[in-house]
Amino acid sequence: MKQKRQKTWTPYAMVLPAFAVMMLVVVLPIINTILQSFKTADGTFTMANYQYFFTSKEAFQSLIFTAIEAFSTMILAIIFSFLLALYLRFSKSKISKLIGRLYLLPRFIPGIVAVYAVMNIIKDSGFINRFLQLFGIVYKPGLLYDIKGIILCNLWFNIPFSAMLLSAALSAVADSYVESARDAGCSYWKIFQKIIWPLVYKDVIVAATFILMGQIGAFTIPYLTGPNNPKMLGILLYQQVNTYLDYQKAAALSVLMFLLCLGGAVVYIKSNMKEEVWEKGR
Amino acid sequence: MKRLYYGLGKRKFAEWILLAVFVLFFYGPLFNMLTLSFAGKYEYPDVIPQTYGLKWWDYILSKGQMLESITTSLLLAVVVTVISLLICLPAAYAIARYQFKGRSFVRLSFLLTNAFPKMGIYTAMAVIFYKLNLIGTFTGVVLVHVVNTMMFMVWIPSGAFRTVHIQQEESARDAGASALQVFFKITMPMAWPGIVVASLYTFLGSMEEAQGSLLIGLPNIHTMPSELYGIIMSFPDTAGAVFAVILLIPSVLLLIVFRKYLSAEALSSGFKM
Repeated sequence: MKQKRQKTWTPYAMVLPAFAVMMLVVVLPIINTILQSFKTADGTFTMANYQYFFTSKEAFQSLIFTAIEAFSTMILAIIFSFLLALYLRFSKSKISKLIGRLYLLPRFIPGIVAVYAVMNIIKDSGFINRFLQLFGIVYKPGLLYDIKGIILCNLWFNIPFSAMLLSAALSAVADSYVESARDAGCSYWKIFQKIIWPLVYKDVIVAATFILMGQIGAFTIPYLTGPNNPKMLGILLYQQVNTYLDYQKAAALSVLMFLLCLGGAVVYIKSNMKEEVWEKGR
Repeated sequence: MKRLYYGLGKRKFAEWILLAVFVLFFYGPLFNMLTLSFAGKYEYPDVIPQTYGLKWWDYILSKGQMLESITTSLLLAVVVTVISLLICLPAAYAIARYQFKGRSFVRLSFLLTNAFPKMGIYTAMAVIFYKLNLIGTFTGVVLVHVVNTMMFMVWIPSGAFRTVHIQQEESARDAGASALQVFFKITMPMAWPGIVVASLYTFLGSMEEAQGSLLIGLPNIHTMPSELYGIIMSFPDTAGAVFAVILLIPSVLLLIVFRKYLSAEALSSGFKM
């Protein structure tokens, strides 16, 4: 009996430290934020903080700007990384092996370092501009301080990230599946549709949701490479805190951004839960 | 070009183009930065520096605050990784081994910092930390970094512990080993690759974390990434390049040392429940 008792509380005791840190350092502040967002500076209840963002033209522009940026990044990153992952999985050449070794590094390069490195290439007085001058071409790329700059930097991080997830998923596609389908006369498109896609689409969803959720709160990349106006939501939030010192409005904006991310999180959790049910059946 | 195309054949040619684009896009910027860091004379239309030297290295390394930020960052990363291991490994083990009420909920809770806008979470933390006098303290920044990578620290080792068969643990217990002995002698060595990958995520995550350190750490705690913000804004490219290269060194070293643990499968297990 004592043995059994011990068994029931052991897992809770083991989980407690990590869970408590998460609750106290993250969840408690978030609850506080939600409460703050409904208050004025002197503590009375108000909806004004939310009204401000729903009626503010600047906030609306930021939302649209963030959405365009996030979806462009997501779509481009998924397409390129899918092609890269397919190549890495099905080509057995030396080049493929070499790229297979090199593509994981960007995921671990400190974000700000990589952004800085890319900035030095794409800015108007950067490497591209200088290089083309050798041939007498005066070309200002106009990429920096523009949405294109943000997307480009994000692709630098997100293509390797999503290629990593997708190639892990593609390793579940055995050569024999593809070969036997080829023998039976399937076209490459049919093989992709019937064999590869069903095995990897969950990971495509995981990659896509992580990329999207990352963009909603993104700060470093748009702060350094984005335009002043319109700005991404992460920058707008930073300004509310650092420039205007308006914590209540910042809280309301945080809550709105949480809600946007919640959509992504639900999709992510749902696509993962399905997998678990499937695993149980094994 | 034409000769290359016919000489290599269509397929090979396309592969070489792919390699060139890949290397230029992902490694070109880093290589350019490395070159700039060793520049001597580098003026506007120069594609590469005219002269080389260690001028900017001397310049950066003579700045006290920057040197301090290097020590702070390294110390921070070590402390964060150790604390993270201490609190997360038991949780990971419990999630892998025990069926208990609320298990999925607990596991899911670690997604929080990675699924929601970081800036929102940091400002929320800043408000509470301000009341607790944790703003501008080492402890405050450690907490931010720990929660940042908890998802990897719980999910990856948890997956690794699950691959250790319970029979192996039980037979060690039958042979008279204590629970802790079993963990350190049997379970941990077998789950080691997962623990290494999770620790790398945590260590490098702490090394690169900028926004949280900026909001919670200033004005007292200067980490390398938070210093780099200022340097990018107000220093010449060549000086920034030196500092960025210094920040790059730990990542590159660790990735080379632990390269055999870093497969796409191992790395992506941190993003799946």
